[in-house]
Amino acid sequence: MQYKSTIYLLLPLLFFCCFNAAAQKKFTISGTVRDAATGETLIGASVKIDGPNGKAGTATNGYGFYSLTVAEGTYTVNVSYVSYQLVTKSIQLSKNTSLNLDMKAGNELTAVVVSARDRKDQNVRSPQMGVEQLDMKLLDNLPVLFGEKDVLKTIQLLPGVKSGGEGNTGFFVRGGASDQNLILLDEATVYNSSHLLGFFSTFNADAIKTADLYKGGMPSQYGGRLSSVLDVKMNDGNSKNFSMQGGLGLISSRLKLEGPLIKDKSSFMISARRTYIDLILKAAPDSNIKGNTLNFYDLNAKVNYKFDDKNTIYLSGYFGQDNIGIKDLFTNDWGNTTATLRYNHIFNSRLFSNTSLIYNKYSYSVELLDEVNNFRATSLIRDFNFKQDFQYFSNKHTLRFGAQATHHRIAPSDLAPGSSSSFNPLSIENRYGLESSAYISDEYNVSNRLNLLYGLRASWFSLLGPGTFSTYTANGDIATSQTYERGKFVQNYFNLEPRFSASYTINERNSIKASYNRNTQNIHILSNSGSSSPTDQYVMSSNNIRPEIADQVAFGFFKNIKDNAYEFSAETYYKWMQNQIEYKDAARLLANADVESQLLFGSGRAYGLELYAKKRTGKLTGWISYTLSRTERKFAGLNNGSYFPARQDRTHDLAVVGIYKLNKRWTLSGNYIYNTGNAVTYPAGKYEIGGVTSFFYTQRNASRMPYTGRLDLSATLEGKDTGKRFRSSWSFGLYNALNRKNPYSIDFRDVPNDPTRTEAVQTALFGIIPSVTWNFKF
Amino acid sequence: MKSLFYLVIFFIIAVAVTSCEKVIDVKTDTSPSQLVIEGNITNIRQQQTIKISRSVDYTNPNVYPAVRGALVNVKDNAGNSWNFTEETPGVYRSVNILGRPGRTYTLNVNVDNNVYTASSTMPAQVRADSITLTDITFGSRTRKLVAVHYTDPKGVPNYYRYILRINGRQTNRLYVYDDRLKDGNLSKNELYPDTEDDDERNELKSGDVAEVEMQNIDKNIFNYWFTLRQQSRGGPGGGTTPGNPPSNISNGALGYFSAHTYQAISITVP
Repeated sequence: MQYKSTIYLLLPLLFFCCFNAAAQKKFTISGTVRDAATGETLIGASVKIDGPNGKAGTATNGYGFYSLTVAEGTYTVNVSYVSYQLVTKSIQLSKNTSLNLDMKAGNELTAVVVSARDRKDQNVRSPQMGVEQLDMKLLDNLPVLFGEKDVLKTIQLLPGVKSGGEGNTGFFVRGGASDQNLILLDEATVYNSSHLLGFFSTFNADAIKTADLYKGGMPSQYGGRLSSVLDVKMNDGNSKNFSMQGGLGLISSRLKLEGPLIKDKSSFMISARRTYIDLILKAAPDSNIKGNTLNFYDLNAKVNYKFDDKNTIYLSGYFGQDNIGIKDLFTNDWGNTTATLRYNHIFNSRLFSNTSLIYNKYSYSVELLDEVNNFRATSLIRDFNFKQDFQYFSNKHTLRFGAQATHHRIAPSDLAPGSSSSFNPLSIENRYGLESSAYISDEYNVSNRLNLLYGLRASWFSLLGPGTFSTYTANGDIATSQTYERGKFVQNYFNLEPRFSASYTINERNSIKASYNRNTQNIHILSNSGSSSPTDQYVMSSNNIRPEIADQVAFGFFKNIKDNAYEFSAETYYKWMQNQIEYKDAARLLANADVESQLLFGSGRAYGLELYAKKRTGKLTGWISYTLSRTERKFAGLNNGSYFPARQDRTHDLAVVGIYKLNKRWTLSGNYIYNTGNAVTYPAGKYEIGGVTSFFYTQRNASRMPYTGRLDLSATLEGKDTGKRFRSSWSFGLYNALNRKNPYSIDFRDVPNDPTRTEAVQTALFGIIPSVTWNFKF
Repeated sequence: MKSLFYLVIFFIIAVAVTSCEKVIDVKTDTSPSQLVIEGNITNIRQQQTIKISRSVDYTNPNVYPAVRGALVNVKDNAGNSWNFTEETPGVYRSVNILGRPGRTYTLNVNVDNNVYTASSTMPAQVRADSITLTDITFGSRTRKLVAVHYTDPKGVPNYYRYILRINGRQTNRLYVYDDRLKDGNLSKNELYPDTEDDDERNELKSGDVAEVEMQNIDKNIFNYWFTLRQQSRGGPGGGTTPGNPPSNISNGALGYFSAHTYQAISITVP
C-alpha cells in the first residue's frame, strides 16, 4: 500500500494538534457575521482580534460562522469584508464568548472592488492556491451576450479557465474536459449547467450569493471530479425587510422576492427567470415559425429557520427546464431539479457541524412527431446524497472532517414508440451506484510565515445490481455476461486522494505556494461532439470503465503591492490523467445498452503557466489574465498511439477586463479576449469515393483553427438616488463590438461552381449583438 | 438522435442568431499519395466495377491519378473466381459476375507487387415498397423530402444505404441507416437534404425526377459510410473529430469493397 506512509504521517499530526490545543488555558470567541441591512450571512469575511496577550485571525465559513481561541485579556475585534465598512469592537475575554457581528455596506463610490470578498491580503497569506472567488457584484457591470449576466461566462475570463466555445457556458479547467468540473448549487450536483444548448447557464445571478472555483489544490471536502469544483451558494433571503428586484432584458426577464417570514428567525428567497424567444417566434408572420418552441425558465427558492443561535435549518431548491420544438417534427425538453436540506448545529464555540440531505436529478426527453418515425425517448440521472461535515477551530488549526454517501441511478434510455411507429419499444437497464467518502483536513498556521492545508480523502465507488453486466471483445461484441441481483456489488473501487497545499510568506507582500492533489471521478459523460448537448449520456465506473484519476502539482508566486491595491500571481501546474475516455469510430452512444463497448481508454497530460494581474481599487478596476498551456491525450488506436492535442488545447489565452466608474451614475466596462484556435484535424490529402471528394487525414488535431478575438463593451446607468427605496438601472451592451467573425467550425468542400477545386469554409456564430436590460430593486 | 441535435443547432443558427460563412485560407499538411480502391459487387447483371486511383495533396486540383496495370481478381466462397480487366484507365470491370445475397466475395488487388485484399458478404435483399415526398420546413424554408418505405426483416441486423439522384444527377449527401431500433417493422427512411446546401440542383421542383438507389450493405460497409457521414457536418471545431473511415481493405489502402444489393425506384415531383 503506497498510501500507508501518508496515513501514518497524517494521523499523529492530527492527534497532536487536537491535544495541543486542548492542553492550553484559553478562551474562545465565536459567532456569525451578517449584513446589517439584509441579515444575509457573510462568507469569507475576515475576523481579526488583537490584544496585549496575543492575536489571531480567521475567515468566516460557508455559513458566516467564525471561531477564534486566544488567551484571556482585552482585545480589539476587527471585521472586514470587501465593499463593507470595517467593524471594530473592544471586548474583555474572560470566558468563552459569543459575538455576532453585523456589517454595513460601504459607500458605493469608494468601494468599487473587483474581486475577493476575502481578507485583502488573503491572496498572499492563504495556503489555498488555484482558487478564484467571484464577486457577484462584478457581474452587474460586465458585458455579456444578450445582456444575460452569467457566472459561468465570467469565470471564463479567469486564468486557467477556457471557454467551451463562442457564447458557451461550458468551460475547461487546466486542460480537463468539460465533464470533469464538479458544479454544485447549495451542495447539490448540477449535471447539465446549460440552457439553450449552452448559450446561457442554469445559474440565475439574482439568486446567487457566492461562487468559488477551485482549479487545483482542492480541499479534501470536495471530490468526485478531476478538474475543478465550482461551488455556488444561493442567497438565504433578506431577514430584515421584504424586498423585490428584477430585470427586463431582450431575451428574458427576472424577478426575485425575499423577506422575513418570522423576524430574525426565518426568511425566504424566491427568484425566477423566463425567456421570451418563443413569444417573438409566435409573433412571427410565418405560420411555420409560429409553431416552434424555444424557451427556458428556472426557479430558485430558499427558506431558512433559526431555532436559536446554535441551530439553523436551510431548505433550498432549484428547478429549471428547457423546451425546444420544431412544429410537426420533434420536441426536446431537458432540465435539472435540486433540493438541499441543511442543518447547522454549533456544538460549542469551537465545533461547527453541518448535515445535508440532497436530491438532484437531470432528465431529458426527445420526441419525434412523424407519423411513422415517432417515439418519445427519456433519460435521467438521479442522486440521493447525505453529507456530514464538521469544522473544529483551535488556536492554530482548523480541522475539517466528515463523510458523504451518494446513491446514483441512471436510466440511460427509455424509448416509447407510438402505436403505428416504426420504432420498437426499448428500455435500457437502469444502473445503480453508491459513491461514499470520508475526509479529513487541517489548515495549520505553523508559524507567521508558514501555513499548511493538508488532508486526505478516501473514496469508495460501488456499482450495484440489479442488472446484466457484460465485458466486450476488441470488436465491441459481448464476451461475457453476468446477471446480478438487487443490491449486489458488481464492481468496487477504492481510492485514496491526498491533498496538500502550503504557503510561505517571504514578507508582507510576497509569498510562494505549492500544492499537490489527487482527484478521482466515477461519473462520466459520453458525448461525441465538441459542444455539450442535452442528450449527453452519463455512465458510471463499471467492470469496463475504471475511475478517472488525476494528479496535479502546482507552484505559485503571489505578490500584492500598493497596500494590496494591486495583486499579481503566477501559477504553474502539471497534471497527469489516467483512464480517460474516447469513442471508437462509428460509435453509437444513444439508446445503446452496450454503450461501454464503444469506448477507448487512454491517458492525458496537461501543463501550463497562468499569469494574473488585478487592480482592485480606484475608479478603474479590472484584471489581465494570461494562460500559456498545453493539454494532450493518448489512446491506443488513435493517432498511432502517440500523444495528440485535445480539442480545447489553446496555447495562448488572454483576457483583459476593465471597469471604469465614470461618475456616480455611469459605469463603463469592457473586456477583450484572445485565444489560439482549437486543435483540429485538417485533411492532408483528398481522394474520390463514389464521385464525391473525400479527405485523407494523417495526424489527429495537428492543425489550428484561426484565433478568436472579441471585444465586448457595456455601460450601466444607475437611476437617480431619490432617497426612496425604489432603485433602477439600465445596462447597455455590445457583444463582439468589432464584429469579428470568430471561427465556430470549418468545413471542407468542393467549390460550388468549380468542382475541380476544394475550399475551406469557416462558419461564425455571432456578429455584433447589442443588448439592453432594465433592472429594478425595492 | 444525434442528427436531431444538429437540426436544433441549425435551427437556432437559422432563426435566432446571425450566422455567417466565409471561405478562408488554411495551412494543411501534405502526405504521400495513398492508394484508393472503390469496389462494388451487386446482384444485378451489370458491369461490376473496381476503381483504383490515388489520393493527392489537399491543395491540388481534384484530379485523381488512375492506377493502371493492376491485377484485380474477385473470388466468392462457392469456389468461383473472376479476373477483372482494365476498360478505361484505373477502372476494372467484369461482366460475368452476378452477385448473390449470402455469398462472401473476396477482392484481391495487386499494384506494383503490393497486395490488397478485402471481403464483403452480400446481405439478403430488402426491397422498398414505395418512395414518397413530404414537405419539410426549417425556419422559413420549405423543401421536399424523399422518404423510402419498406418492411425490415425481423431478427437479423440490416444496414441500408441510399443514393439520391435528381434528374439523373447524384446528390452528395450520404444516407445510411440501420435497424438497431426498428428491427422487424414497417419502416420509413427520410433522405434529409443538407440544411446548408444552397445548390439549386439539389432542390426538388415540380417535374423533377427523384431516383433512389437502395442498397443492403454489410456491417463493415455501414460503419464506413456512417463514420464518413458523422464527419460530414459541423467539420473541424463543430462536430466529431474527423478521421479516416474504417476501411475493410488490408495493407493501408483507402476506400472500401462492398458486396450489396441493388434496387432503383423513382418518383416524379407533381
